[in-house]
Amino acid sequence: MADVEKLQGELSELLLVEDPDAGLAWAEETLKGDIGVTDFFNLVFTPAMAAVGDKFGRMEIFLPELMDAADRAKRISEEVLQPMMAASDSDQELIRGKIVMASVKGDLHDIGKNMVVLMLRVNGFEVFDMGVDVAPRDILDKAKEVEADIVGLSSLMTTSMPYMKECVELRNGFGLKGNFSVIVGGAPITAEYTAEIGADSFGKNAVEAVERCLALLDRPAIE
Amino acid sequence: MKNSPIYDYMLSVLDKAEHGPVVDENDWDFNYINRTIKDLVKKYDIQWDAEVMVPADDDLADRLFEAGMELAREVGVYCLDTKRQMKWSQEELDYILSTAPKEEVLGLGEDKVTVRHRLPDEDSPITTIGGPYGTPVAEELFVPIMVSYAQESILDYIDNATLVSTHGRPIKAGSPWEAVGCWQEAQLSFEVLERVGRQGMPIGCAEDSPSAIGELATTTYGGFRLTDWHHASFISELKVAYAELTKSIHYQHTGAFSHNFYNTIYGGYVGGAEGLAVAIVAGVILMKATLNGTTFNPGPSHAHLSCNTFPAMIPSLSLGFQAISRNTKLMTSSFPRPVGGPCTKTLLYESAAMAVATVPAGISILEGIQSAAGRITNHVTGLEAKFLAQVGRASVGLTRSEANELVQHIIPLYADQQNLGEAIQGVPFEEAYDVETIQPLPEWQGMYEETCREMEALLGLTL
Ligand code: B12
Repeated sequence: MADVEKLQGELSELLLVEDPDAGLAWAEETLKGDIGVTDFFNLVFTPAMAAVGDKFGRMEIFLPELMDAADRAKRISEEVLQPMMAASDSDQELIRGKIVMASVKGDLHDIGKNMVVLMLRVNGFEVFDMGVDVAPRDILDKAKEVEADIVGLSSLMTTSMPYMKECVELRNGFGLKGNFSVIVGGAPITAEYTAEIGADSFGKNAVEAVERCLALLDRPAIE
Repeated sequence: MKNSPIYDYMLSVLDKAEHGPVVDENDWDFNYINRTIKDLVKKYDIQWDAEVMVPADDDLADRLFEAGMELAREVGVYCLDTKRQMKWSQEELDYILSTAPKEEVLGLGEDKVTVRHRLPDEDSPITTIGGPYGTPVAEELFVPIMVSYAQESILDYIDNATLVSTHGRPIKAGSPWEAVGCWQEAQLSFEVLERVGRQGMPIGCAEDSPSAIGELATTTYGGFRLTDWHHASFISELKVAYAELTKSIHYQHTGAFSHNFYNTIYGGYVGGAEGLAVAIVAGVILMKATLNGTTFNPGPSHAHLSCNTFPAMIPSLSLGFQAISRNTKLMTSSFPRPVGGPCTKTLLYESAAMAVATVPAGISILEGIQSAAGRITNHVTGLEAKFLAQVGRASVGLTRSEANELVQHIIPLYADQQNLGEAIQGVPFEEAYDVETIQPLPEWQGMYEETCREMEALLGLTL
């Protein structure tokens, strides 16, 4: 069996080098060896990206480098892994779920939301980022349009939190409760508030956001 | 009737938001901001040794100013509502900077306060402000909490908290409730001034106005006064929203005093400490150009901790203030947002470091504090603002080199604790103060006195 830890280390370094093709070539080469594409995705690709995320957590790299790394990872996923998955008869999909994300109406804060979007993307979610100051009705329409599994809402202010409640109430009122879950987050949001407004989940930070979204979709957690 | 030149100028700013080139926001963040800043850091050789906390190199400060000016001129501001780039020529920037006053008076009657431009190392007095700055507080605690600041004579004026609710209802941004909330904020603030007998004291406001509605509703008859300290801000990085332009044009018409702020993000699109310094300078120049306020605060904010007292950010801020002070008449304010909350020494140490690092850098105002990073309901008290003002006033007259050494002594007292999260959030107002007498409880008072003595011994200052 391939030394996955070594491979993880190699990939996380390649994701941070300027050359956009370096990781692609390396992934193709590595997958010619004795590691299958599903194992590669779960044991090498996802943890390597998580390691890059940790570097950002420690401020060893900054947001633009993290986003570049995410772009490179996305290319590896789309150009190497997905075609191989399609060819093999593995029933595992690389897209873990569809998520619509927004900072709710009245709220222009987007730094935390952007980090959550990024971490979800690198962990295999397809994310539709609607930006900031988004009205509840627009969020619901988007969720219907793309058939989202989850709607993620971010609020940084007590003065925009009421729009989270409104989103949940509108979803329930329009009979869409069975269609998608709502996860909420942002500095003033607590588990108690989440329960109070009837949202389905809450995450304290971007890492928790990924964990909770996987849980909402009943998918295994990432090591 | 003919418009005044400054009014015509303000209209030309609004024109920029309508007619500038359309730019994709992603492109703005990556190319306009990130790439340009990386290049400017190299071009102007913006760097300092990692252990330096208060750089004292005038040439470096002036190079930083040039870099910030180039960013301001070449990149400008992004209007979020129209998706357009607002650009200024050097001539326009020079014009608007030339209109800045070197001194300004706020407030009324006996409670008037003067804010002045200061140079690095200068021993002229600073202005001090205390308040929770938008930290949410419960309706019934707004008055006692605000009195805890207003009663401190070392504080020249106050800046408000945000109300968690208004008349028992949530304040919903952009809705009528925002107007209701801001009216309540105004009425309660006047009650606070009445209680402490400082009716003419300026009030930092409105803190319940995430859109323009609350500010427009209350800067009028019976509401906040023109002599109060009204806010309009940028969104990181170098972005502006219609709401803030609306506030600014309202201030221009009414003559209300305007304070502008911006939270550039350490670890975000500006990169690390050097890029942060460039963005700080460009941000202040462009806030003057866009919002045309009189006093300016450039944040910044840590991408994970939301604070601005993280050690690596302190030299960026100190140097940024020096660059602006040496090359313009603009009046800046330094504003600690510590990780620590009330009843923790961490909060006091973080605040002391910020005061010592920035007063000798040529700031005009020392203000604060968004304790516990300003996000935990009721986690604010007047005592920490009093402490900040004391350290700030004692730091007047220090040179930058002296300050550098002192800050190096303070940093180790808190640096390791900033990652402790909930453990250093401290306690809410009701557990730190007697809510009836509005005096600190023995534990908080004792911790404050002990830290004052520690700082006196460590820094050789008299508080
Ligand atoms: C930076 C900042 C700004 C910048 C925003 C820039 C930007 N592009 O986002 C600017 C200067 C524009 C700004 C403006 C204002 N701000 Co502000 N701001 C902040 C500050 C200092 C940091 C926020 C931040 O980015 N933190 C870093 C990120 C990474 O953390 P985060 O957002 O919490 O996100 C993490 C988690 O919460 C979680 N998460 C976030 N979203 C989601 C979503 C989901 C689904 C999940 C699972 C998880 C999750 O994961 C993230 C990553 O770990 C906070 C203070 C604070 N301590 O939060 C005040 C703060 C939020 N602002 C505040 C206020 C009042 C304002 C203004 C109204 C000020 C004014 N008077 O004009 C305006 C409002 C503008 C508007 N309409 O939205 C108040 C809110 C008080 C309240 N009512 O609750 C705060 C708390 C500070 C204060 N005391 O004043 N602000």
